[in-house]
Amino acid sequence: MKDIVPEPVELRNPQEVMRLARMGVMMPTRISFLRSLVRRLCAEKARITRTHWQMCEAGFGRAVYSVTLGGHVYSLVAISNDLPGEARSDRVIATAWDAAFVLFDGVPGADDIDRIAAQAPLQEAGRFGPRDLVLSRANKSVRMWDNIVAALRAGTQPDRAMIRDIGYLMRTTAVYGNGKFGIADRHLVQDRPGLSGPFAVEMLAVYMIRHFTLDLVQHVGGGALDRALARHLGIGNATGLGMAPFLVTHPVLLNNWMLARETALGRARAVPDLAPEAQAHVAGLARRAAAHLAEWHVPGPEDDSLLRTLEADWARFAPRFDDLSGTDPLDRLWQAAQGETPALQELLAALLIEAVPEAVDGLTECMADPFGPLVAPFEDTDDLRTAIARDWAWALEQDHADPALCRRFWYVSMAKLEPRLGDRFQEPGAELETPLDIARRVAALHCDLPDAPGRVSDFLALHPEHAHAVNRVAVLRRYPYAEIRDSLIAATCRPIDMLRCKLSFFGATKFDPKSDLWTRITLAQGAPLGDELSPENEDWWLPVLG
Amino acid sequence: MMDWSWTELQALGVKAASGAQVPPAQALAFGAMLARHLADEGDEAPVLRALEAPDTIVALAHAVERLVEAASISPAGTASTREGDAGRRALLVSWLNGLPCRSEVSVAGDTVRAMLSLVEPSTRARPVRIAVSQRLADALHDLAARTYVPDSAASRAGGAGAGLMELD
Repeated sequence: MKDIVPEPVELRNPQEVMRLARMGVMMPTRISFLRSLVRRLCAEKARITRTHWQMCEAGFGRAVYSVTLGGHVYSLVAISNDLPGEARSDRVIATAWDAAFVLFDGVPGADDIDRIAAQAPLQEAGRFGPRDLVLSRANKSVRMWDNIVAALRAGTQPDRAMIRDIGYLMRTTAVYGNGKFGIADRHLVQDRPGLSGPFAVEMLAVYMIRHFTLDLVQHVGGGALDRALARHLGIGNATGLGMAPFLVTHPVLLNNWMLARETALGRARAVPDLAPEAQAHVAGLARRAAAHLAEWHVPGPEDDSLLRTLEADWARFAPRFDDLSGTDPLDRLWQAAQGETPALQELLAALLIEAVPEAVDGLTECMADPFGPLVAPFEDTDDLRTAIARDWAWALEQDHADPALCRRFWYVSMAKLEPRLGDRFQEPGAELETPLDIARRVAALHCDLPDAPGRVSDFLALHPEHAHAVNRVAVLRRYPYAEIRDSLIAATCRPIDMLRCKLSFFGATKFDPKSDLWTRITLAQGAPLGDELSPENEDWWLPVLG
Repeated sequence: MMDWSWTELQALGVKAASGAQVPPAQALAFGAMLARHLADEGDEAPVLRALEAPDTIVALAHAVERLVEAASISPAGTASTREGDAGRRALLVSWLNGLPCRSEVSVAGDTVRAMLSLVEPSTRARPVRIAVSQRLADALHDLAARTYVPDSAASRAGGAGAGLMELD
């Protein structure tokens, strides 16, 4: 690696990168979690095998699929239910789904399958054990499902345009891992080959769920889908507010994701030159991005308008890819994009990362946080004040008493134990606010610091309420990308931007925002099928059906 | 006894401490301490007492802050403190053992001595399951429930996906 990994250019300033407006236009990259998992499966030439099938003609029953990864066998137990249409809901408050899933550690026996069949449909109300690695559920895209079943039963292939527009057979509405409801803690599997990356086990479950949906629809339809069409059917996901606070409550993890991504971009920009075939590859990626944008339409007129603007901007920028000879070709592209929109810049960043696999793929080993924050305490309150002045000027500049800057409050709902966002001037419950108001807390800490230096522990003895802010300042001092540089309680805060950031790290495409609070996405669209996992098939960034 | 995952116990411990009016940083640390304490088969009684007297949790957090501060300027990375109450002493040991950094903790009489290597990760193993009594589980759930906000018409109307009808 030493010979082929260039020293990165100076990384982008966290003050520029860690803004909601930019996080809200991020794109998937080759170091996204699903992508790196599939790459590993491809490298191992893994095969998904169906080991149990107890399914009626209408597609209701049980199935088990197994795959070997890194020398360990993992099995997806799928339970398909006959769900009345009126009970189908993507909201987290739903209580029934078309299908429920558990990713099991090993090969489940009959007793395991019976237990999972009883518990998995209950989801949050069920109880799970340490061999259950992931719990999930999904609803059909009824329109897509019915179209494919009808086509296959008629001996034809489904509507290509519908596959392009919808892109999945089922949408997951939750993918739970890491100890929730009694399932295995992440630390039990994080040292296994292939599962050391963030959310790797969840991504394995998602990939296998996609395999199940394809298998199931072909069973019900009684025919075989064209492979190109099947490959373009990913797995949908509907994600709401519950995911957003994660980025704030896991600052080291956020830092490690962003630092890996920025380092990847820095390494790409530092490539001194490109061989002719590499130039052609990069130009091909640019054309693919254009085609992907052309196929990416969403129902919301405002969001679709943003996509059309990006499509037009990208078309205008495209001639830059015509000549990639000479020195620093990728950095030239990057510099040329500096006057462009954040959306175009983030698309270009993802493309540049895609262009240099040898230089960036190893960074996926650095994206987990198995330890938690390892920070030294401040020497004294002056040292703390200096760190705040250096790293938190953006927070100190805000008037946190301004109602517009503190209108929102995050809380956990009693009904579903899920995060929600309220209006502190209109709704009850602000006294139970979840502490995501980091900027406001650091500003308050700064105000209360004594003029004369003293021990921080002495200060905290008088002001224990400031310990949270002190910890955040200490973390940001060591982990520069750990903090979002915007108020998360401002009236202008759009949780959808946090969702987009996190989902792009998962490898999501075709973001389809339904409001500022939730979005639909597609995962694994274009990914190799369960019997196509080999290294030559791992190039599926921004898939295009054509 | 019930078998819990580490993560769910830690998360519930944070919520319970928050419900007991413990400030956020100390509540977060309490959750980590709780998982470590029960994983090491520590006595539940001092945990229950601490949750009934949340000043205890804040005081323990402060004691750890002082130890970490002292260890950071000690050439050997060591620091010590005295804690006369056996239950609180046990929690203090678990708190230190639950830090993300490498720690070696010893007790002699009422003195707790810690060697902390603040930039090295802890290598302490975590168990597959942690046993929790029904009594402690109930106490944790009751306190955690104090942090939840009841539904209102506004919250239902403003929830993610509210009003969603189309399914494709």
